[in-house]
Amino acid sequence: MSKNSRNHRVFWLFIAPSGVLFTIFFLIPLFLNLILSFTNYDGWKQMDFIGIENYVRVLQDKEFYSAFFRSIIYTIVNLPFKVAIPLLLAVLLTSPKVRFKTLARTLIYIPVLLSALVMGITINWMFSQEYGLVNFIIQQLGGSPLEWGSNVVLATIVISVASTLMTTGFFMIIYIGSINNLSSDIYEAAEIDGANSVQKFISVTFPLLAPTTFLVTLLSTIDLLKEYALVQGVTQGGPGTGTTYTIQYIFDKGFNQGEYGYATAISAIVMIVFAIIAYVQFKTNQGGEKY
Amino acid sequence: MRGFLLTLCSVLFLSFITACSSETSVETNGANNSEEADGGILKILLSEEPSSEDALNNSFKKWAEETGNKVDTIVIPYDDQITKFPLMLKNDDVPDLVSTTRLTRLYPEEFLDLTDVVDIGIFDQAALEIIGQDYDSDSNLALPNQYTITSYFYNADAFEEVGIEVPTIDDPWTMDELISNAQKLKDSGDVNYGLAVDFSRGRYDNLMYSNGGSITQETEDSFVVSINSEENVQTLENFVEWNETDLMPKVIWTGGSTDNPADYFKNGDVGIYLSGSWEYSPMYEEITAFDWGVMPSPIGSLQQSAIAGGGGLGIPSSAENPELAKEFLEWFYKEDNYVEFLAQDKGISFINGVTYEPEDEKVIADYEILQAEMKNVTDRFLVDEKSAWRNYLDSEYRDVIKRAVSGELTAKEALDVFANDLSEKSDWEIAN
Repeated sequence: MSKNSRNHRVFWLFIAPSGVLFTIFFLIPLFLNLILSFTNYDGWKQMDFIGIENYVRVLQDKEFYSAFFRSIIYTIVNLPFKVAIPLLLAVLLTSPKVRFKTLARTLIYIPVLLSALVMGITINWMFSQEYGLVNFIIQQLGGSPLEWGSNVVLATIVISVASTLMTTGFFMIIYIGSINNLSSDIYEAAEIDGANSVQKFISVTFPLLAPTTFLVTLLSTIDLLKEYALVQGVTQGGPGTGTTYTIQYIFDKGFNQGEYGYATAISAIVMIVFAIIAYVQFKTNQGGEKY
Repeated sequence: MRGFLLTLCSVLFLSFITACSSETSVETNGANNSEEADGGILKILLSEEPSSEDALNNSFKKWAEETGNKVDTIVIPYDDQITKFPLMLKNDDVPDLVSTTRLTRLYPEEFLDLTDVVDIGIFDQAALEIIGQDYDSDSNLALPNQYTITSYFYNADAFEEVGIEVPTIDDPWTMDELISNAQKLKDSGDVNYGLAVDFSRGRYDNLMYSNGGSITQETEDSFVVSINSEENVQTLENFVEWNETDLMPKVIWTGGSTDNPADYFKNGDVGIYLSGSWEYSPMYEEITAFDWGVMPSPIGSLQQSAIAGGGGLGIPSSAENPELAKEFLEWFYKEDNYVEFLAQDKGISFINGVTYEPEDEKVIADYEILQAEMKNVTDRFLVDEKSAWRNYLDSEYRDVIKRAVSGELTAKEALDVFANDLSEKSDWEIAN
């Protein structure tokens, strides 16, 4: 057996486990999803082929557009925080001047270990309007309780903070790994040139972390566009439909209203749009190799 | 070396598969063995985790003790049952007996007709119809296990503090009086909110029916949609205003929180609470910090309104042990067993001639009001039930009310949206 042929076999042996899982948990559901999107499947006995009727309906559905654009705005507003906070924390926690770094990293990482739904329910309890911890503290300090549950802006802020809190630890660890791999020679050269800490960050650290920043941006974007469990735990899409994002809308149509066929059509369209967004990000940043 | 690794991987994979298979087999054998040894296992589906005070659960326990059978409980909330039950059917893993509010209406072909299992004549006819929700056939797919009526609870201590006289069956308040007194309660500072209403269309609809509105109207051979009528728009506008002015806790009906108005009442933060008779027993056990009671429903622009409902027990056609489920039903509806159940449930009786006779003076007075509310079930509610509009749309109705309260839509826009959707789904025209 030639070396090339043996390498091929080894390659497929390594690929096989993830390939099987990818097929079972992604390709087959995707295929079924596409088939169902051309039917009026109601989750029970009705499943007739109806052509592209579901897709036409999606494109005329005002509620879908509202939920979709709400998701986009939520993503655009939150993305800078999702990327910047872990980066700044990573820089801080790799500095030789900071103490208790391990403890701080551990504390920041703990929320990553919690399930989004558990986190959501905990946050919901903390921000409960009448009996929540946060309003209790505000009242103890002489303030008036805030309408966390009935004001769209406040409800969105709560979700946003919780969402950022949940991912900060993970992205911070990725950044720390990358920072530790940066060559100290470059920093020494910058010091010789008289650069201060801020200048070193702007001119050296940030550009060299571009591939990592691209990765974090891409993952954060997809995370934000797909935000579901956290919202379900905190606001259930309310007040009104103020925090009903795309995935809530799909879930509601499918599982609460029994319109599985329609929900799968929305999923197919949304998947294509999300893939385009990721592709544009990839091309714009040249896969993180821009710098 | 490569051969050894491949062999090792194969052995590990096969071991994993075999281990998974063995686990299933052990579980199955375990269940079968206990069935053979101790009698049958009745697999039941309940809507909530049974507490030690739960009357139905205690009936199951007593039946199991008396007959030597076992009860295996699955808990799925009513709303989730709608999506989970079809999956159970597909997997051929259905319970023998279900406690439900809607499954028999949504999947009638999947349930046994219980007409010959027990003497149907023993039941209150209205209870049987309202709980069975089947107005078109003679079959009985769900037999009652809970008969409920919506009711207004009041904080007696707060009433006394403000000097408000409690309305009586013979002299109920008007809706205007209720709102005015709720405002007084709030203004006094004894409670945070004058009025709270469960986040349920079943409670909100009382306001609509009492003002002469309805969701549908019956025509000669069908129904028309009347949810966006002028009186309904006015009712919703009033409801939104009560929320806007903080007479009610707005967060309950905007849907951005899981706050439960029952907790508000139990904590003494609400003066008047529109809920239902099913809350009576838990409140009786839990509220010790203040006196409270039940008062008659107020008269809207047309009349008083109460909504009757409840839960029923049904046997799926593909159940493994339908005979055991039938045995339980026969046992449950025997007078002695039913009387014991009713005393614990403190609910409305659904069997003719059997009533709950409380000993506590307070409970006697409250129970009299709850029973009297039965006469306030309106004809328009019964027409809406007969139309079975909820087979077309259900939670969407509460969602549009939620959007009106949160300010996303005006009352008229919200009801127009729902009227159009219901009309489209049901093929019923919208009433002029």
